Amino acid sequence: MSTVTPERVIEYREALREAMSEEMRKDNRVFLIGEEVAQYNGAYKVSKGMLDEFGPRRVIDTPISESGFSGMSIGAAMRGLRPIVEFMSWSFSLVATDQILNNAPKMLYMSGGQFGCPIVFRGNDGAGGQLASTHSWSVESMYSNIPGLKMAIPYDAYDAKGLLKTAIQDDNPVFFLESERLLSTTGHVPEEEYTIPFGKALIRRNGADCTIISFGRPLHFCLEAAEELAKEGIDCEIIDGRTIVPLDIDTMVDSVRKTNACVVVDQSWSFASIGSEIASQIHAICFEDLDNFVHRVHSDDVPVPYAHNLEQAYLPNTRKICEAVRSATYNA
Amino acid sequence: MPIEITMPRLSDTMEVGTILSWHVHAGDVVVAGDLLADIETDKATMELQSFDDGTIEKLIVEEGQQVSVGTIIATILEEDEVSSDSSPESVPKPEQTTEPTQQSLEQRSAHTDSPRVSPIARRLAEEHGLDLQTIQGTGPSGRIIKRDVLQIVDTTSETTSAANTTKEAPSSAVVAGSSSSLPMQPLAPVSPWQQDRTVPLSNIRQVIAKKLVESKQTIPHYQVTMTFDMDPLLEMRKTLNEQLVSSGVKLSVNDFLVRCCALSMSTHPEFNASFGGDCILYHGPVNVGIAIALPEDRGGGLVVGTIRNADQKSLRTISQESIYLSKKARETGLSIDEMGDTTFTISNLGMFGVDNFTAIINPPNSAILAVGAAEEKPVVRDGNIAVGHEMSATLSLDHRVIDGAMAAMYLSALKELIENPASLLV
Repeated sequence: MSTVTPERVIEYREALREAMSEEMRKDNRVFLIGEEVAQYNGAYKVSKGMLDEFGPRRVIDTPISESGFSGMSIGAAMRGLRPIVEFMSWSFSLVATDQILNNAPKMLYMSGGQFGCPIVFRGNDGAGGQLASTHSWSVESMYSNIPGLKMAIPYDAYDAKGLLKTAIQDDNPVFFLESERLLSTTGHVPEEEYTIPFGKALIRRNGADCTIISFGRPLHFCLEAAEELAKEGIDCEIIDGRTIVPLDIDTMVDSVRKTNACVVVDQSWSFASIGSEIASQIHAICFEDLDNFVHRVHSDDVPVPYAHNLEQAYLPNTRKICEAVRSATYNA
Repeated sequence: MPIEITMPRLSDTMEVGTILSWHVHAGDVVVAGDLLADIETDKATMELQSFDDGTIEKLIVEEGQQVSVGTIIATILEEDEVSSDSSPESVPKPEQTTEPTQQSLEQRSAHTDSPRVSPIARRLAEEHGLDLQTIQGTGPSGRIIKRDVLQIVDTTSETTSAANTTKEAPSSAVVAGSSSSLPMQPLAPVSPWQQDRTVPLSNIRQVIAKKLVESKQTIPHYQVTMTFDMDPLLEMRKTLNEQLVSSGVKLSVNDFLVRCCALSMSTHPEFNASFGGDCILYHGPVNVGIAIALPEDRGGGLVVGTIRNADQKSLRTISQESIYLSKKARETGLSIDEMGDTTFTISNLGMFGVDNFTAIINPPNSAILAVGAAEEKPVVRDGNIAVGHEMSATLSLDHRVIDGAMAAMYLSALKELIENPASLLV
């Protein structure tokens, strides 16, 4: 970014819209499809104005039928188009899992390279909005277990735009996990075109005592925890992994080699999760550098509660992160 | 209840002690007064005796392990007492289960041979050449963690870093000056054996560091030097040693000096005194300390052995005690009795050919005599130049107790004795 326009601040949802619109202007194979994306301007107003600009052939409203429009889009991708499929929530993708897990990621492999599947599935992921157990899914651990797909989780507006443009340009199925809790957050996004490569983590805070690794919305709690811990003299380094597949383990390892302590914060449940995967890799790669085992902070091992206080307590919140860091650094 | 034996506080400054060796095993019957273990403190090696009769139940702290004062190091079962660890069926207790409790698991793991240590702490200890057995772990279950190792590294490197900065400063200035015109030459790689290394302080060196800094910083030192005609003393020593060779006695110059200093102290009581803040403490007994260098393979350093009531002892006794103290200090270490309560110290580097030097006062002494070699040199005798032996000795003094003129008078008394040694025999 050589010449950056100073201080153009936009919302996370606008950044997503800019990414889609810019790519659709450049490449007429790209289209947006999903519930309420067109006439209603998006359930969360992400696609506001896009129907007016690109028309109903490229901004397509669908019935409430995730399996149907996902499968149709996968077919379109196999035939050379580049669909962007919006799930109002990743919780609703569960009814389309045969399409998005059994078809999209395996198509290139099973067709012996005859059919690719350049498609982006995007939508809100994670709890925190009092949407109760069935509509508050964090799907990252479950879905990233599948070979053949990529997965990005942007934390701020800048990353939302840069990562989504990379996702649309990618020739593989990309699972793009946004957060309803972040849509209204604002951040600096330059006018100039840019993309953010997959597999490059970002150090959001430099520190010497403990590495905290996270993705997406829990980073908010991590940054809060770091401020609180700084008052206690514990200096945290916060790494935003940005993409789960591919995973930038190198940046994480470099940091752990410096701090000798690591906490992974993952909003999915702990069993067989991203948190357990990263902890396992850190243990294997920098075993000799660790002063303590990798600590993990997850959502509690229960269905997501509806009550506000219970839901906040359920999340990988600031209190839990502080406790984990204190324990990992022997300051408990 | 078994009797708990704890690490005793064997000196005022002792905070930790190391079990050098156990003289008993679990199951041994002991009576009060039996030798249980040798314990190394910050100052000396001491014997730990049993205060009780009974049977050793278990040895908790292993040989070579360092623990804090008060730590339980062993347990003794009194007569008719049954070990709590064994034969539960003979004393059936309903609440006892066969399941190991959390506590017993922790105890068991705490007794394993190698200390628990985090991977990075192990690596750092290796890099800095630290022995994990000597590091007290502060993590869960006594795990040695990074912080524990770094604390030791930090304290040891503070002293070396001061030396390093003065060394490095000029070389970096040269590099900065030459960078403008000349291409940078890569520095020759440093061979591993040339690289800096950090060695943790031994107990004895920690004490030396602490005590001598305290001495040099709190005592207003000054020095007075005098040269002595050594011919009469050397002659007498030669004669005596020839006569005593059959009885195995070999007097050293230092033995004579111990007696000279002691006799002079009894006539100059301020040299047998300590500064007491608002008073001067005049000591009754005249106890002369002799500085003994310890061999490098035992960690080096020096200790001061005590020759008690030296003013009342013959040269022969002083010689015997001096030989005993040197040998014991070098081989097994001195006990507190053998190294405490000095009121004056002699440090002799004459045997290394040193002309003269100044020593740091060994508190609570008020003076220390630094002795050089008795050397053959041209001397003036009755207005003529002749060849004779002279020795230079320098007193370091605590000005709060001893003034310059007093020091001069003491040295004159010393000179009188050294140059007329016959009086030492009576």
